Amino acid sequence: MWLVCIGFAFPSGFSVAVDAQQSKPSEYQVKAAYLYNFSRFIEWPARPAAETGEPFAICVLGKDPFGPILDATVSGQGAGAQGLVARRLTKPEDALACQILFVGDSEEGHLKEILTALGKVSILTVSDIPRFSERGGMIEFVLKGDRVRFEVNLSNAVNAGLAVSSDLLKVALTVRKNPQSGA
Amino acid sequence: MNSQKICRQRSCLGWLTHSLLGIAVRQSIKVCALMIAISLAGTARSAWPQEASAGQNPTGSLKEMSLAQLGNVEVTTVSKEPEKLLQTPAAIYVLTGNDIRRAGVTSIPEALRLVPGVEIARIDSDGWSVGIRGFGGAFSRSVLVLIDGRSVYTPLFEGVNWDVQNVMLQDVDRIEVIRGPGGTIWGSNAVNGVINIITKNAKDTHGTLAAVGSGTIDQAAGALRYGSTFHKDIEYRVYGIGFIRGQEFHTNADPFDEWRMGQAGFRADWSRGERDSVTFQGDIYSGENGGETNIAFFFPPSQANVDGTTFVSGGNLLTRWKHQMKNGSDFQLQAYFDRTNRQDAQFGETRDTFDFDFIYHVPLPKHQDFIWGLGARVSPSNFIQTQATVDFSPNQQTDTVYSGFIQDEIPLVTNKLSLTVGTKLEHNNFSGFDFEPSVRALWTPDDHQSFWAAATRAVRTPSRLDQDLGLTGFFSAAPPFPIFVEITGDPKFKPEELLGYEAGYRSQVNPEFYVDIATFFNNYNGLQSLGDVSIGFAQSPPPSFTYILLSVPFANGLEGNTDGVEVGPDWKPTSWWQLKGSYSYLQMHLKDKRGITDTGTAASDTGSSPHHEVVIQSLFDLPGQIEIDPTYRFVSALPAQNVQRYSTMDIRAGWHFAKELELSVTGENLFRPYQAEFGSGVNGAPNIGIKRTVYAQLTWKR
Repeated sequence: MWLVCIGFAFPSGFSVAVDAQQSKPSEYQVKAAYLYNFSRFIEWPARPAAETGEPFAICVLGKDPFGPILDATVSGQGAGAQGLVARRLTKPEDALACQILFVGDSEEGHLKEILTALGKVSILTVSDIPRFSERGGMIEFVLKGDRVRFEVNLSNAVNAGLAVSSDLLKVALTVRKNPQSGA
Repeated sequence: MNSQKICRQRSCLGWLTHSLLGIAVRQSIKVCALMIAISLAGTARSAWPQEASAGQNPTGSLKEMSLAQLGNVEVTTVSKEPEKLLQTPAAIYVLTGNDIRRAGVTSIPEALRLVPGVEIARIDSDGWSVGIRGFGGAFSRSVLVLIDGRSVYTPLFEGVNWDVQNVMLQDVDRIEVIRGPGGTIWGSNAVNGVINIITKNAKDTHGTLAAVGSGTIDQAAGALRYGSTFHKDIEYRVYGIGFIRGQEFHTNADPFDEWRMGQAGFRADWSRGERDSVTFQGDIYSGENGGETNIAFFFPPSQANVDGTTFVSGGNLLTRWKHQMKNGSDFQLQAYFDRTNRQDAQFGETRDTFDFDFIYHVPLPKHQDFIWGLGARVSPSNFIQTQATVDFSPNQQTDTVYSGFIQDEIPLVTNKLSLTVGTKLEHNNFSGFDFEPSVRALWTPDDHQSFWAAATRAVRTPSRLDQDLGLTGFFSAAPPFPIFVEITGDPKFKPEELLGYEAGYRSQVNPEFYVDIATFFNNYNGLQSLGDVSIGFAQSPPPSFTYILLSVPFANGLEGNTDGVEVGPDWKPTSWWQLKGSYSYLQMHLKDKRGITDTGTAASDTGSSPHHEVVIQSLFDLPGQIEIDPTYRFVSALPAQNVQRYSTMDIRAGWHFAKELELSVTGENLFRPYQAEFGSGVNGAPNIGIKRTVYAQLTWKR
């Protein structure tokens, strides 16, 4: 009796419907792709670094959740003429040469110090630390079920002299503005 | 018959509760028809056009996607726990929602089989023995179980009624299992371990999920959930689950253990600004399961193994407010109400629990983290006597626990060495004041490894069983007077005490290999056993006859120690293969304290937990979105439960064959047609064989 039932529960015609889907990418593959992509939607003020041909740097501060994924993402690709590099940092001071800074969640306890150290330097700060965008960060990755989305704190980005494309804001889950900044 | 024999198995608890009248609800053709209808609907859906997914080279193609496309890519989320685990000075193991999914299980206890140091044995269709570092038993004595911060430990028995602890497994975020005493934070009864079941935040359960399953034992199961955002800041979900589970194997052709359950609930999470978040959640359930128990009567036939149905129902409401202050402090305020009703052939109980908890965290100078908390629990209950031979006196009682704790984490060498000290002070209505201090040290020589050690005192406070029980069993009909034996609670029963010493090492040896090793030495004092027999005459209720009564009280009569080691490696050599498992070794040495001559309890306790347990789980991610997940396990003999050593295997095959659909088929206990894992708990009844099963589940999610 139950064998019969199970027989029906195994739909037999599925093979027709299956296409060449790959196994799902990992969370950090997608996050790395986001980091890479953000560079196209943010305008950094002209900096001496750009003039001297320094590469565009995506940096990771604290424990690195990406591993080789980030290097694979940036490899062989230039965001502009200078080329693109991934760097790992241990001290927030080292971030001053970065355009994008991903703050690892090992740094949650020091978040305030890190953001203070960066001051108003034009670095796009990104993290998946909970409530990062409310705690002074600019872009916070948020998992919505199995999907990676992000929230933006526009005031924090504008205060640091970054121009954020409306295309990026459109796909953001939430766009926050700090009440006091009037941005 | 030995006077203690009626209590040999599962220390009376099983004998007492493993109950009743048999409802033999036959597997329903209707259910089968429903399954077929739904699975066919699934087939239709799979033919829908599918959106492009990640493509051949994920990293490469992901780069080409727009931000909006990236936001639609489904990802496998990797638990970040190992990193946090490295910083935890306790034997903690985290089962993620994904681990639970890939184990192919249909219940929480089954999922816990994967955790090192945790002993799970299925007793029958609806019952488990759950133990941590020894003391396995149907009520998980000395293990504290919490679901989203709500304690489900019952003060009637020492332990947990596992048959009513159901959650929608798809919405479980993780299960944190802490082996070893956790009394300083968690309070009394967190003696041998804490099992912390945590469901997902409502923001992580947007959309619709429908799952239907059917199998040889889990005959029909369904789960439905819908989650969304309400008014911008409030995220919510509502869910319902239900299942019908059939009988296991009974050598005496006396199947009684069918189980059916329905449950519904909700969770809403509201975050306001950056400082406040509020959770509001609740569940309601109703179910019935069959059981068998030995009941004595003051009329013929004097005693019988009675099959019957246990009717259970209940519900809970919980709210939690977390607030972050500007000075870096934060606090959490939680309150809940929980109601349980249970009625079986032996007795009934209704119980309400009102609980309030407050935890305040404040960073102190020099990077100290200081936490203090207050708690109060008031639990009025009503015992419903249905058999003259089973009683708790008084029938109505309000149980209370008031507690406070402080704990300070002090860094001795920045990022290298820290010390955590704290204590709980608690007052309960059974045994008054108690304290549960602990000292823990954590040394992290580098980012990849840590050593920890701890010394802790924890107590299991007396339960109503220890102090208020009056359980009569039939002994002999020999003339001139029949003889009955009564097990009685001891109103002066004191807390069972544990002094635990633990040490552990964790290492992320390289990105592919993680290992966790823990070892412990536990010293117990005043464990429950039976005291001296006293003999007297007693008068039965009508039909009123005189009988000889052998009265045996509970006593804090055992002492001794346990030691062991648990090793949990996790190896991911390639992107498509992960191998993990555990080896758990346990030794128990218990003996009667001076002046106690209990011939059975020490042997029963020590013979109900395995010396050796091995679990090996292999997770394959194959092309075409196919997952193959075999799990092997070995459990050494349980002499007190008349269970031989055994090994067995489960295999799950999952196929994510369309964007929104996943089919999984799980075979469990594959090596034999059936295998007893624990004693039936019923006097004279044979062990129940846990059958080989096949279970298929179809999940639709979007």
